Amino acid sequence: VIDLNELRDAAQKAFPTDALAPDRDASRRRIVDLGWLMIELPEDRGGLGLGSAAATTVHFEMGRVLNSAPLIPAMLGIHAVSGNAELIEQAISGAYVALPMLPTQVDEDDLLIGTISGVFDADMATYVIVPLPDQIALISTSVAGVRVIERSIWDKTRRLFDVELNNVRPDVILAEGEAAHALNRQLAKSAHLAIAADSLGGANAALAMTVEYLKLRRQFDRPLAMFQALKHRCADLKTLIANAEALLWSLADKSDASLSEFGAMKAYATDVYRTVTEEMIQLHGGIGLTEEHPCHLFMKRAILNAQLGGSSDDLFEARCRELLGEYA
Amino acid sequence: LRALRKSYWQISMTVELDSFRQEVRAWISANAPCNWRTADSTHAQFAASQRAWFLKLVDSGYAIPHWPTEWPGGGRSLAEQKIIYEELASADTPRLLLSFVSTYHAFSTIHECGTEAQKARYLPAILKGETWCQGFSEPGAGSDLAAIKCKAERRGGTYVINGQKIWSTMAQYADKCLLLVRTSSEGAKQAGITYLLMDMKAPGVTVRPIHQIQGDEEFAEIFLDNVEVPVSDRVGEEGAGWTVAQATLASERGLTLMELSYRMRGAMGRITQLIRNAGRTEDQGILRDFGRLATQVDAACAVADRFLENRMAGLEAVGDASIVKNSYSRALRAWSAFGVRLAGIDAQYRDPIVFGDLNSGNWMADFMNSYAWTIAGGSEEVQRNIIAERMLGMPREPKGWVA
Repeated sequence: VIDLNELRDAAQKAFPTDALAPDRDASRRRIVDLGWLMIELPEDRGGLGLGSAAATTVHFEMGRVLNSAPLIPAMLGIHAVSGNAELIEQAISGAYVALPMLPTQVDEDDLLIGTISGVFDADMATYVIVPLPDQIALISTSVAGVRVIERSIWDKTRRLFDVELNNVRPDVILAEGEAAHALNRQLAKSAHLAIAADSLGGANAALAMTVEYLKLRRQFDRPLAMFQALKHRCADLKTLIANAEALLWSLADKSDASLSEFGAMKAYATDVYRTVTEEMIQLHGGIGLTEEHPCHLFMKRAILNAQLGGSSDDLFEARCRELLGEYA
Repeated sequence: LRALRKSYWQISMTVELDSFRQEVRAWISANAPCNWRTADSTHAQFAASQRAWFLKLVDSGYAIPHWPTEWPGGGRSLAEQKIIYEELASADTPRLLLSFVSTYHAFSTIHECGTEAQKARYLPAILKGETWCQGFSEPGAGSDLAAIKCKAERRGGTYVINGQKIWSTMAQYADKCLLLVRTSSEGAKQAGITYLLMDMKAPGVTVRPIHQIQGDEEFAEIFLDNVEVPVSDRVGEEGAGWTVAQATLASERGLTLMELSYRMRGAMGRITQLIRNAGRTEDQGILRDFGRLATQVDAACAVADRFLENRMAGLEAVGDASIVKNSYSRALRAWSAFGVRLAGIDAQYRDPIVFGDLNSGNWMADFMNSYAWTIAGGSEEVQRNIIAERMLGMPREPKGWVA
């Protein structure tokens, strides 16, 4: 059993909140050194076996500092290959196995053709996971037929790539049939949890910055934070965050909850992050529209998070369909 | 080894709580009133049913789990209290509305601040059904409770009271009243307040139920015309009423909102039924909105749960209770508004209301009833001030405004 408070303190020491979006490559090395990628992986597979609440704590803290290194896709990539001792060994030594965070459009065949979207930091990746309808394959980025193309995105705190496959033979088929479906569901649950944690760490930081700014900024001979109209908006944001956070932690160690519960929780958390950052810019006024101020970094990250692992519309719809079944 | 010992302790605790839960569940399934939603056609009948259900719970030892051990059914841990309310909610039993002020507000106030004579006179009577109401708010003192004007003049061994109270929950059925009065207009407005225990049957007390917009009469006005209260029924010193009132207001911390959140989640099937009846099961707009609403309700439950868990761990922070309240009340509003939307014209034909049920499926009534939670018990706006000023550290507005 790990003390999550100690883990949180260690994370804040390694990634202080006053350094937003720290250098990607240095962050990646620090994350590997701290052993965070192995935090949830069971001990019998070479991991630390500290459970998903510990992983959630790390994602939450890294969301707070707008982490720019691949953490969520790397951690999930390790889970995807956890049945393969040799790949785990490589990952422990620093190879980045990337799980794409958006749906892939690749045809299922002996040779893979198509595009894998949503691969964070593919330039650093040794392997990329390819989720297919009835298989989960693994490709090496260094083989012929693989092209890694960076896509320019609004969110400057992260780097996103497409990986084009032109007749690429998979290195390994990680799972097939029902085993592949089960692994996909498990990865999706973990992804929802991780994205939600990143979002709520970020939402907390965004609200704290906003409240600090309102306390400092003076207009009409008083701090803006004294105006009830603005206080109430901040209070509502605090309440929204508390709701999403309570829901996040209620699912953090509840692996028996359904995929749709995890998905709806993630949709709720990213909606909250988006709302908080939307208000962050408005409450900062003009300075919030300048590139030199970090408001926009939070807002752009929040809106990208809402797309990762499925859109809110689809996830809420799926939750509703499951409830209609439960109350049939 | 220490970790091992701790986990053994946790396991044995869990086993004990599980068996307590089974015991409560079995008792409820054998004793809970059936068909209570349609049983009472008048508010007076509802009050009688409430009294009977409360006395049954007293006999079983589940009515006052938060009282100390010397009382039958008292001395329960917060974890056990939580189980009782979870089970009462999930079995869809009637909410304890009539006895609430008695077992929480009156009990805490008298137990913490009352004299020995007051404790002996009033506490055992609560378990026999003596019912209390709260005389705090006034027409001119809502959110600003310290602005009360209801006046008490000392004449020898009695206070003579003149004034008006409002928004007293079910005061028309109450035997006694927790009354805040003004005994002095000197100094800070909080300093001139005194706390009295008043007999509702005393000469000069008139109670008038408030007709609410949904047709309920959950609250009443109390008019006081030269009502005499003996000085022996004062709680605390003269002028110390504001401090005593804090004991009243702090008496219930989170269990009710947890119970109500669970009841709302338990009533989710009313909305899925509505979606099906309206033929909207393939309407993506409805499906998305309901998926979101259900998640908001789950979040409100999680907030209430987390608040109680933190309390059990001694981690309650200032403002936490305000977040729980605003989360629940907004989820409740959204829940009932969604029902009104889906039910369409059907919700506009007036059906009888169900007393004491916030999630009855009478959608217009539920919608109107939901305001009770955004306005009563510290309005949403007051809670926002608490969150902003005491959690986020935003400065208070300067005092001393004059028109």
